[in-house]
Amino acid sequence: MKRVEVKLNLEAVAPLLDVIKDAADDLRPRLAVNPAVPDQDEDFSSEWKKELLEGQNSDLGAFLSLFGSEFFASGMVPLDANNREAILRACSAVRLRLRAKHLRALDDEALESGEATLDDLSDVQQRAFAAYVFLATLQELIVQHLDPNDLSE
Amino acid sequence: MMFADTKTHQNPSTSTVTQEQLGDQWMVVVLDDPVNLMSYVVMVFKKVFGFDEMTARKHMLEVHEQGRSVVWAGVREQAEAYVFTLQQWHLTAVLESDEAR
Repeated sequence: MKRVEVKLNLEAVAPLLDVIKDAADDLRPRLAVNPAVPDQDEDFSSEWKKELLEGQNSDLGAFLSLFGSEFFASGMVPLDANNREAILRACSAVRLRLRAKHLRALDDEALESGEATLDDLSDVQQRAFAAYVFLATLQELIVQHLDPNDLSE
Repeated sequence: MMFADTKTHQNPSTSTVTQEQLGDQWMVVVLDDPVNLMSYVVMVFKKVFGFDEMTARKHMLEVHEQGRSVVWAGVREQAEAYVFTLQQWHLTAVLESDEAR
């Protein structure tokens, strides 16, 4: 099984983990995107959202487990076929939450390009934006090196 | 459970012909959002629908430039399953009836 170990710069990433964990905690009881449920029935809608939330929480658990003692000892995070999809989805969920919570002042162009004038942002916003960009980089890395559609594995 | 993750790839064109004959067409529509990466959206389309790279990129660009793309059409039950799977990937996916067009 293909496996990629990514060595992250501890000094750069560790300060972002607080804002990432804070966003992940926010997501425990809520979905990153309010879903359009294709049925008005209350039970159906409730079950639909409950299942999405269970999946989201499972993904977030897999993602946060990357940043345990091994990460703080070596800066390494292991990525493989067992965790790549959960981590891709978790990164997306946390990025959506960071945007909703901290980055509403940024226009879509800044969010899509990952470029913003940091001086215009508060300290909290700067850290949230750095985390937002870091998570995008992690997603790009997984898509590039561990694409779930790669049938050669 | 009722919203099982959809991994089955179905040929969209084959499905469309069948459903047009039956006259009961439901569309899976993906709407634009400024957060999810283009490469991520392409990857998700390939994974969920079995699209090749070119088809996945075409739909991604439709979403990006036109705000929406119809990524699949067919029977309601399958369309619902696709919407659910896309929402698991945090894409903004909705189900629309062909009659609403």
